[in-house]
Amino acid sequence: MLVALLFPAPQLSAAIHEVSRFAAPLSGTPLQTDLRESPLNVRALDGGGWFCRKWLGKFLSESKILKMEKDSSFSRGSEMSLLEQFEGILEGDKLIDEIGFLGPSQFASLDQDLSGSSLDQCTPIQLADVSLETNIAELNTVQYDKNFFWNRNNKLAISTDVLSHLYIAARHAYMYASRRYKASINLTLNKGAFCSASAQANFDHLLEDEILKHTKALLILSCNFSSAWNDRKLVLSRKHEMALFLEELRFSSLILSGAPKVESAWSQRRWVIKIVGDFLQDSPGIIREESDLVEKIAEKSKMNYRAWGHRCWLISCMNSDQVFHELAKSKKWTELHVADNCCFHYRRELMLNLLKEYHEASTGCNFDVCLLYKEELKWTELLIGRYIGREALWIHRRFLTQCWIKHFTTNQGAAAVTESEDLISSTTQTFIAKELKFARSFLNITDGFYDALDQAQYAASYILWTLKFALSQESMHEEILSELRDLKPLLLKTCAVNSLGWETML
Amino acid sequence: MGELEGKKHVQYIVSVEKKKDSFEALVIEHLRLNGAYWGLTTLDLLNEIEAVKPDEIVQWIMQCQDIGSGGFGGNVGHDPHLLYTLSAVQVLALLNRLDVLDIDKVSDYVAGLQNEDGSFSGDMWGEVDTRFSYIAICCLSLLGQLSKINVESAVNYIVSCKNLDGGFGSIPGGESHAGQIFCCVGTLAITGSLHHVDRDLLGWWLCERQCKDGGLNGRPEKLADVCYSWWVLSSLVMIDRVHWIDKEKLTRFILNCQDKENGGISDRPDNAVDVYHTYFGVAGLSLLEYPGIKPIDPAYALPVDVVNRIFFSK
Repeated sequence: MLVALLFPAPQLSAAIHEVSRFAAPLSGTPLQTDLRESPLNVRALDGGGWFCRKWLGKFLSESKILKMEKDSSFSRGSEMSLLEQFEGILEGDKLIDEIGFLGPSQFASLDQDLSGSSLDQCTPIQLADVSLETNIAELNTVQYDKNFFWNRNNKLAISTDVLSHLYIAARHAYMYASRRYKASINLTLNKGAFCSASAQANFDHLLEDEILKHTKALLILSCNFSSAWNDRKLVLSRKHEMALFLEELRFSSLILSGAPKVESAWSQRRWVIKIVGDFLQDSPGIIREESDLVEKIAEKSKMNYRAWGHRCWLISCMNSDQVFHELAKSKKWTELHVADNCCFHYRRELMLNLLKEYHEASTGCNFDVCLLYKEELKWTELLIGRYIGREALWIHRRFLTQCWIKHFTTNQGAAAVTESEDLISSTTQTFIAKELKFARSFLNITDGFYDALDQAQYAASYILWTLKFALSQESMHEEILSELRDLKPLLLKTCAVNSLGWETML
Repeated sequence: MGELEGKKHVQYIVSVEKKKDSFEALVIEHLRLNGAYWGLTTLDLLNEIEAVKPDEIVQWIMQCQDIGSGGFGGNVGHDPHLLYTLSAVQVLALLNRLDVLDIDKVSDYVAGLQNEDGSFSGDMWGEVDTRFSYIAICCLSLLGQLSKINVESAVNYIVSCKNLDGGFGSIPGGESHAGQIFCCVGTLAITGSLHHVDRDLLGWWLCERQCKDGGLNGRPEKLADVCYSWWVLSSLVMIDRVHWIDKEKLTRFILNCQDKENGGISDRPDNAVDVYHTYFGVAGLSLLEYPGIKPIDPAYALPVDVVNRIFFSK
């Protein structure tokens, strides 16, 4: 009923279709509805806002229709039993790669979708009472209440009916274990341990397992709970086992698959990589895997600042071969995502890195950085002509023009433009004259379509920006100034929104 | 154009505080101290701070302090972090109760997070971000303790995060983002180092954030969002280029994001409201000099009278 309220049937099926394309390669199980659309998926916590998560509001107001208030009929005992079932599922199916929070009525449709599937690993049961625990232990299979959990083919669904109860139980179990663990650490540090060293170590191991288990459950429910991430770091840094570090990368990937903007999860990866990189000596492999992960996540989470920030951070760990490789690899992806300013920014950072290396190399460099910039200029020109009205493309061109003028052109006085010359000239004046001609060609709008209007605005803005910020005063020759004066009415007409700022320039 | 529904926003903020048991409230309980800052600052900007009981709030805030380190967690029993330490200091400043703080203890915690290169970590686990530089410097400035850190290297770190487009990112080489720009410009403003900003270049970038609907976005190719009314506008005020945007269209955009029935402001028209966007909408209107709202300080993100009380009453 919840689903019906929130998600009219056609929308739901469209959303499921959307996700099955991206997120369920293993089984085709359409478990997790589209993150961008689904108000049900509480882990689709959009971090696009700032200093916090924008979802804050989405949930506060959706609470008007989506009632997930704590049902007081649940006792603490049954809450803990639910948590045990949940943690049992996580323990029993370590390959879970997708988790969703669904309304109860959606569970039935999940089973229908899977009719014919023989991959029943688990034994669902009805929750009788708390004494269930004994049954679980005896049977040695993961048992759970199928009203609240659904686990097939490495997918897990949790009923929105029990989220509050699960959360409270997980938080309680985690905080209790954390307090005892920290007290135990303090005791050891103060040499006040009253039992033998080995007994103390056993006790700590037990608590460490408890903390890892409960924080996993808690973070699946509330992925920004930073104290839980911190306690995982504490345990990992004390145990210092490679397998645990690698498992942490896997776990944070699981969280990011559902909530791609969770800052703590990205930060956790950097923390692990800094440690693992030191004693693995396999940073090329790690960098490649991280870069691939960002690309995969960026596919369904557009303009994700945290994801791309992570990829930019990786550049500091790369050698020039890797930088070249990344530049080549990202080209195709960028062509398919011309509105994603983040991937262009990533390319800019890679290119600046190579430029810096080129300038710093005392004896010749083994690559032609000038050619690299030239080809990027040609490529951008092609894309601007092909994809009309894309701001990200014009911003990228500004950067290239800025760098080209600064690093690869010489100031040789006024120059006439001849048709035969290469667009990308090495004299500043010829280059600028050609750029003006290129951008001008988009200013005369014959039709009134939005894209063409946008294109004209970006072109006009590009002209003004380049002349003001990329060109030195001594390069501003009379022919450029007179052209600018001619363009003034057209420029002012084109840029409706930012004209207040522009007028001060003209 | 509709009017500002100030009274309804006050009711909305007070009502949010009472819904603690829903799952939506539970999953954000770790940042409740941030929420307190957004909600209470909004109330004060609307001249309605009396709607809450200050003693209860102060008592709860002090329970969020980590005794060992001196930093504040987002809620009772949570790990300390700069993000919540600034909110604690700001709310106490708002309530004129900074006297309850052990200034040395708090400022030592903040100063202790400065790194060799001048940057700041958010907490003991070492993540670095220009947001944390702003928080540290804003916090220490409000507490009169800037001398505890190396201000020059803190400024140099911010400058190292400047991009060729005039904007700033979260780390050196990070993409320009209006939120990060606010933090970097705010840091430079508080430390008297705005000469490091190319005002025309950055002003241009910030003005291009104004979309056709009048609202501001945070980066190229993004939709407008009320929260950037604060991040972009405050930066423009600090670098003296606010006259470059169309203020009337922006005011209209913010007012169109109000829930006129139940109060609160959303990110975009017709979306769900929340405290975060309610604060940034009201703060944006304050910078736009909307009648009936107290003026807000663009660097300290507190009402101007609160900032004046701190700096001029000593």
